[in-house]
Amino acid sequence: MSMVSLTVNSRPLRADVEPRTNLADFLRDSHDLTGTHLGCEHGVCGACTVIVDGEPVRSCITYAVACENAQVTTIEGLNDDEVAGELRAAFTREHGLQCGYCTPGMIVSARDVVLRMPDASEHEIRVAMSGNLCRCTGYVGIVRAIRSVIVERKARGAAPRADLRTALGPVGSGHAGAFAGGADKTADAPPARIASPVSRAATPRETAKLDADFVPQTSFPQSFVVAHPVDVVWDFFGRVDEVAACLPGASLVGTPTPEHVEGQIRVKVGPMVAEFQGVADISRDDARHAGRISGSGRDTRSNSATRGLIGYTLTPVEDGRATRVDVSIGYTLTGMLAQFGRSGLVQDIAGRLVSAFVQNLEARLGQGEGAPAAPVVTELNAGSLVYSVIVSRLKELWRKIAG
Amino acid sequence: MKPVRFDYERPVEIGAALALMQDEGRVVKIIAGGQSLGPMLNMRLVQPELLVDITAIPALKRIEDTGSDLIVGACVTHADFEDRRVPDVTAGALAGVARGIAYRAVRNRGTVGGSLTHADPSADWISILSAVGARVILRSASGVREVAVEDYMLGALAADLNPGELLEAVRIPKCSASARWGYFKSCRKTGEFAHAIGAVLVDPDRGVFRAVMGATETRPILVIDRAALFGASGFSTGAAEEVAQAAGMGDLLDRRTHAVALRRAFEQADAA
Repeated sequence: MSMVSLTVNSRPLRADVEPRTNLADFLRDSHDLTGTHLGCEHGVCGACTVIVDGEPVRSCITYAVACENAQVTTIEGLNDDEVAGELRAAFTREHGLQCGYCTPGMIVSARDVVLRMPDASEHEIRVAMSGNLCRCTGYVGIVRAIRSVIVERKARGAAPRADLRTALGPVGSGHAGAFAGGADKTADAPPARIASPVSRAATPRETAKLDADFVPQTSFPQSFVVAHPVDVVWDFFGRVDEVAACLPGASLVGTPTPEHVEGQIRVKVGPMVAEFQGVADISRDDARHAGRISGSGRDTRSNSATRGLIGYTLTPVEDGRATRVDVSIGYTLTGMLAQFGRSGLVQDIAGRLVSAFVQNLEARLGQGEGAPAAPVVTELNAGSLVYSVIVSRLKELWRKIAG
Repeated sequence: MKPVRFDYERPVEIGAALALMQDEGRVVKIIAGGQSLGPMLNMRLVQPELLVDITAIPALKRIEDTGSDLIVGACVTHADFEDRRVPDVTAGALAGVARGIAYRAVRNRGTVGGSLTHADPSADWISILSAVGARVILRSASGVREVAVEDYMLGALAADLNPGELLEAVRIPKCSASARWGYFKSCRKTGEFAHAIGAVLVDPDRGVFRAVMGATETRPILVIDRAALFGASGFSTGAAEEVAQAAGMGDLLDRRTHAVALRRAFEQADAA
C-alpha cells in the first residue's frame, strides 16, 4: 500500500492504495465519488472517462499512483461548469440518456468536443464521440444535444477554450517526483501471485471434453519441408514424447501413449505468457501418412480455453529425399485471450511456433536415432527465432520486386 | 477484472529505469501511458511483479531539432502530435494520422514509444512512421542503437528489443516542401484497430518514395521501388496484390483490401 495524493474537484484527497488501484476505484472506493462508472474496464466503452489536467482520460486504465498530484475533475465536479450545465439541459431536452450508465462519461467527452471543436459538424461529433458507447439511445439524441450546444454557443459568440495544454507526455504524469520502493510487500498483504507451476501441476487437471462434433471457429493451413524421407518423419511423428520436445514451451505430464497425451505448452507473446494445460487424442493412418490430433486446454492465468483440431499429411518431395508436411490448424479460443486473439495474430504466432518446431525437428533428426539433441529453440519468444522467417519473407519480396 | 498485485517504481532518470530493468528476480514491465498494457493488465494476460512507470522521466518527453531530423521522446502522446505540440516536419502527416488513433481520451495518455513497442500490427504509428522513414533510438546500459521503424516490429506483439533495452526516442526525418502523404485505414468502427492500412510518403526533392501496407497481422510491408506498384496507367492494384502475396499474405480478400487501402492512400497523396 502507498499513500497517493490527488486534487479531485478542487479538493486535496489522499488514500492509502495499492499501486494496481486504478483512478476510477480510487475515486469510487476511497472517496465515494460513485458518479464515475466502470463499464468494460479495458478502455473501450468510455463510461469511466474523467478529466485529468483538463483533458478527458480513461480512469479504468490509468493508475491513481501514476497521476500523483494531478488535477482530477469528475462528473460531481462539473455541477457549476458552464458547458456541462448546457449539456445537461440539452441531454434532457433531446432524450440523450435512458438508463444513465454511460452519461457521466458522455458528458465529460461531450464537454471536450464542445470546447475543443467549436465548429464540429454532426459527422465530426459522431467520430469524436465514438469512444463512448451507449446501449439505450441509438446516439441520435446524444449527437443532437451536443450539436445544439455547439450551435448555440457559436451563435452567442461564446469563447473557445483558452487554457490549452502545453505540457508534453501522458496527461496526469509529471506532477510528482520519483516513487521508489513502492513495494506491495507489507506483511499483511503478500503479493497474491498466481500459484507456481509446481503447485499448479499438483492440482487435479481438468479433463478436456473432446466431443466428436467439434467444428473449429478458425482454420488455417501451414506447411513446411523436412530434409528427411517420409518414412523417417512418419516414424518420428509417432513418438509423441520426441515430437513434444521439439515444440517450444511444451512439456508432457506422465507417459503418453500413441493415442493419448497430457501436458502443457507455454507460449510467450510480447508481454503475455499463456500456459495451456490439456489433453489430446491422436489418430494415425499409416497407409496415407496422415494424422489427426484433437485436443483441448485451459490457461488458468488468463482464464482462457482453447479447443483445437490439427490434421497433417506427409508427402515425399525432392525424389523422396525430403518430406513436405501439410498441416491444417483449426481452433476455437474463448476467455480473456480471445480478446486479443484476432485470427491473423494467432496465425502469425502459429507460424512462428511451427518454424521453431521445424528447426528443432531438423536438429533432432540430424542427430540420428537414439541421440536426443537439445532443442535449438526452447521458448517461443521474440528475436532470432522470428528473424529467420522475416528474412525469408523479405528475400521472397525482393525477388519479386527485382524481377 | 483487476490486475494482479505488483510493485511500482517511478524513476526520474533513464539510468534509474535501466537499472530497475536489470532486476532478474522479478518480472519487470515498463509502462508509459498504459493504454495498451492497461487492458492486458486488467485482464491478467500480463502479470508483472514490478511495473516501472517511465512517464516522470523528463528526457523521454523532450523534442529536439537536429536540423535534418526531429527527435521525439518515447513518452510523447498521440494528442501531442494531434494538437501540434510536436512541431510538424512531415507536411502534416503525423498530426493527421494521430487524430485518428483510437479515441481522444486514449490519445491523451497513449504514447508513440508505447505503441511501437507494444507492436500491434494494426496500430497506426508503425505504419505511418515506416512510411516517413523514421527510426527508433534504443538505449541500454551498454549504449544506444538505432533501428528503422519497419524493422523494429519482428512480428505480432514482438518488438526488436533486447533484455534491458528501452525505446528512448523516435528520429523523424524532415520532409521537404515537395512532400505529399496519404493514409487510409479500413475499419468497421471509428477508433478500432484497422483491418488494412495504406500509408504513403512521396518526397521528390529528397528522392523519397515509401509505400506501406500495414495492419497485416505481422510486420508492415514497405515498398520503396515505385515500379513495383505503378505501371504505364498509374497505380496498379494487381501489382500491389502481388507484392502482398510475395510478402506472405495468403488470403485473397486480405490482399485486395490492402491493395485498395494503398491505392486510396496514393489518391489522397495525389490530391494534396
